[in-house]
Amino acid sequence: MGPVPRTLELFYDVLSPYSWLGFEILCRYQNIWNINLQLRPSFLGGIMKDSGNKAPALIPRKAQYMANDIKVLRQHVQVPIQFPKDFFSVILEKGSLSAMRFLTAVNLEHPEVLENVSRELWMRVWSRAAEKAGMSAEQAQGLLEKSSTSKVKNQLKETTEAACRYGAFGLPITVAHVDGQTHMVFGSDRMELLAYLLGEKWMGPVPPAVNARL
Amino acid sequence: MGPVPRTLELFYDVLSPYSWLGFEILCRYQNIWNINLQLRPSFLGGIMKDSGSLSAMRFLTAVNLEHPEVLENVSRELWMRVWSRDEDITQPQSILAAAEKAGMSAEQAQGLLEKSSTSKVKNQLKETTEAACRYGAFGLPITVAHVDGQTHMVFGSDRMELLAYLLGEKWMGPVPPAVNARL
Repeated sequence: MGPVPRTLELFYDVLSPYSWLGFEILCRYQNIWNINLQLRPSFLGGIMKDSGNKAPALIPRKAQYMANDIKVLRQHVQVPIQFPKDFFSVILEKGSLSAMRFLTAVNLEHPEVLENVSRELWMRVWSRAAEKAGMSAEQAQGLLEKSSTSKVKNQLKETTEAACRYGAFGLPITVAHVDGQTHMVFGSDRMELLAYLLGEKWMGPVPPAVNARL
Repeated sequence: MGPVPRTLELFYDVLSPYSWLGFEILCRYQNIWNINLQLRPSFLGGIMKDSGSLSAMRFLTAVNLEHPEVLENVSRELWMRVWSRDEDITQPQSILAAAEKAGMSAEQAQGLLEKSSTSKVKNQLKETTEAACRYGAFGLPITVAHVDGQTHMVFGSDRMELLAYLLGEKWMGPVPPAVNARL
């Protein structure tokens, strides 16, 4: 039996475009690297509040930078990510609380589809190409109802607090547990550094021998 | 004759640790990629509310105007002071020490220090910093790549792989082979 897989926790919110990019990269590497990828749906709003940080999009030059950055990363990371037309309404007004509670419920009841459902939600917010995640209407409805129970609300709160305890000031964060040490890495552009910490080979954001799901 | 090297402008401030990281990575790649790396000493305080590096960045501006061939070394020595040995970079003697460590004579260094407080140098730093702002900078470092008539601004030291992608060059990690690490 080979060495024990190292646990990687990915804390993310579907409101965060960089979370989507980090997610896709790690999903590609989960069968290449010796890791156990654990998806941890979190609430970005809670992290911003707790850390005193501000969403980058609220700073005009950062918003402008993000708009260009996303265009380039779309090609480089090969994810169909696109700025929503009504960005401010989607991101700053509507927010992501219901979506992240829904994913928390999914994680509690059907963790095997968490990856697909998360991707589907990102597709809705951040891509024009909406596809079905493969859930039945009844399943989805049931989970939607569960989303507003205290169990689910508390779970999302706990996951978000865990991210804060790891030092998060935004999302995504990836927490790698390696040789008894914990390393927290912020952003989707630090995966090469993560590989370095894991002693793994970095083969760019679209490694070979992995069929792109998109 | 091969294709024209692409110009990369690196706007940096020695107060910024990520600027140092980006700087070292690009210095390693300047003889590997088909690029023309132009160092652009800037003032982070002019981009964000910050201070502390004004004299140092004015000094580097003066160096860039008079002895651009040593700009890389002097920049590196200032980073070594503040971000490696936790030494001051605000006092004149600190700046002179960095310049001399980079191979400048005491007279040369002193001369440039004096030039640092002329309007010519002050204005140049101001202009460079404004250029960074016009490129959309909200912090430093930024790297501006001029490729096929397009301009791409990349923020941070952790985007060099993306920069390689924009340049159509090969990314070989932050410490590419066939380059002797200077440190």
